[in-house]
Amino acid sequence: MMILMMAWRNIWRNKMRSLVIILSIALGLFAGISVLGLYKGMMKSRVRNVIDAEQSHLQIHDPGFKNDYEPKFILQNGSSLLKTINALPQVKTASPRSITNGMLATASGSSGVQINGVIPDLEYKTTQLKAKIIEGKAFDPARKNQVIIGKKLATKMKLKTGAKLVLTFTDTAGNLVSGAFRVAAIYRSDNAPLDERNVYVNISDLDNLLNIPGAFHEIAILLKSDEDVGPVQQLLKQKFPGYQIENWREISPETDLMVKTTDQYSYIIMVIIMFALAFGIINTMLMAILERTREIGMMVALGTTRVRIFLLILTETIFITITGTPIGIAAGWLVINHFNKHGLDVSGMGGEMMSSFGFGTMIYPEFPIDKLFGILVIVIGTALISCLFPAMKALRLRPSEALTR
Amino acid sequence: MQRYMKIVANIDKEPVNKETVIDAHNISKVYNPDTIPVYAVNNVHLHLLKGEFTALVGPSGSGKTTLLNLIGGLDKPDSGNIYINGVDITQLSSGELIDFRLKNIGFVFQSFNLIPVLTAKENVEFIMLLQGAGRSERDDRIKQLFRQIQLEDKLDSRPAQLSGGQQQRVAVARALASKPRFVLADEPTANLDSQSASNLLDIMAKLNKEEDITFLFSTHDQRVIDRARRVVRLVDGKIVSDSAAVATEHA
Repeated sequence: MMILMMAWRNIWRNKMRSLVIILSIALGLFAGISVLGLYKGMMKSRVRNVIDAEQSHLQIHDPGFKNDYEPKFILQNGSSLLKTINALPQVKTASPRSITNGMLATASGSSGVQINGVIPDLEYKTTQLKAKIIEGKAFDPARKNQVIIGKKLATKMKLKTGAKLVLTFTDTAGNLVSGAFRVAAIYRSDNAPLDERNVYVNISDLDNLLNIPGAFHEIAILLKSDEDVGPVQQLLKQKFPGYQIENWREISPETDLMVKTTDQYSYIIMVIIMFALAFGIINTMLMAILERTREIGMMVALGTTRVRIFLLILTETIFITITGTPIGIAAGWLVINHFNKHGLDVSGMGGEMMSSFGFGTMIYPEFPIDKLFGILVIVIGTALISCLFPAMKALRLRPSEALTR
Repeated sequence: MQRYMKIVANIDKEPVNKETVIDAHNISKVYNPDTIPVYAVNNVHLHLLKGEFTALVGPSGSGKTTLLNLIGGLDKPDSGNIYINGVDITQLSSGELIDFRLKNIGFVFQSFNLIPVLTAKENVEFIMLLQGAGRSERDDRIKQLFRQIQLEDKLDSRPAQLSGGQQQRVAVARALASKPRFVLADEPTANLDSQSASNLLDIMAKLNKEEDITFLFSTHDQRVIDRARRVVRLVDGKIVSDSAAVATEHA
């Protein structure tokens, strides 16, 4: 008890010095938490993008389809499959798609694209295609052969709404088929590479050209809750063993990997910040001990064991550290909360760059509550390690020498 | 040993069967033994009985502090043995010495003597806590000690709020808190004005007389030397005179 009291009073002997180190710990923690919060927000929005605007929660294909995207691998009994899926209570929407790879050609050039034949109303609900439109209007049910293309492709091919283009691909029999389409709209998502590659046409137009009337290659399923992914995937696999049923992590393993590695990066950043701080703590504690050489010598002379001296220094270091900790955490929480509500606009730093990695330019950082324990372990660990060197210095003091200083 | 007992008896007019507190035999402490050896303490014999009030005097650099450090177990001699209550402290490990000091020896240093972040009371209590004394025992002892040093109204003052003399009196109380076998004081009056020095000496003398506490203090303050009942003079690490021995010769 006396040691706790002494330690607390000792850190206030040199108020300015202790405040500086307490504030640097707070600042380091604030910086660390902000980075973690920013990463968490970015990753969450990336995952949301993948689920809500790109891949959906689950996708169903014929097992042979994804090898080469050959149009002959349609989903057998697709309509009854779709009906069963739509009947599941966890399912929000299920969007059937016909997909083929082909060539988009204009008078001035051509580009390889993935042609997605979609049912407009369902697609608007699953991937928010309508919301992404920045020029032109969504599919007009009265018109045939309309295409919606991405902004990046439009820029590359110098296409505007109303422009004509030709899509060429092979049908199920291997014949080369072409169709003339008119650009109904241009969309832009947070993922520029996908915008360059994906074009959308009406499923009936594509099916006619592919010669698979009424059939489709893919069902993208959006669930009401992220938690249902596992159970629904399991259920569908049991019910329909002949199909390839994948969740978003399997479809987009790079996103999953990114989320996981970002977690590790955040800890590495935290450790680096704390490593730098450790030197500050070591310096402060060393100064505090060198100033008190005589006093520590006197305490040992009076009969204070070295264990108690060590505990005193350890407690002082921990006090300094844990005084700075809540300040840093509170500051981090306040700032992150502010930007979580109002968003952090990073378009000034390069929207192009962000979107080429699939990130939006508005980031909504989130307080990394799940990593708080890890952060505290790192902070306390830093304090423990930092006090070892000064403590060793104090323990090596010989009272007869220390008293003469 | 018989001879020393006789000496003390003659000086203090006290019974001859007093117990031995410190018995140092042939102790030497050499600095730079391999280059230019400096004998800080050179083959010293010192024998102290319970209740003695002894001044260790000598010019600066004569080895007073080194000798006190050796007797107090703060440093180890290069040769010789020091028996305190029959225990040869030169044979103890540093850990055992810390425990031994806590239980047997009280210290009063020259200056900056108290722990500045603790109040006067806490400074004294600190030693008792190290000894594991209970709450009521600590409270009783603190009350008694602060009465003896006449600082009952300064219990909650921090050292910085006390005068140099008051700080040294608290240091004496702390030295006695653990009920040691003897108190070592290294130039306790060196930084005090004459009034404070006189007060401190009054208190030490009173404790010595009334409670039979053994004091060994180094000093070159003539006022302190005059109050001592035995004066041991050191020059160049050697005892050149001992009033106890002189007294014997006169006897």
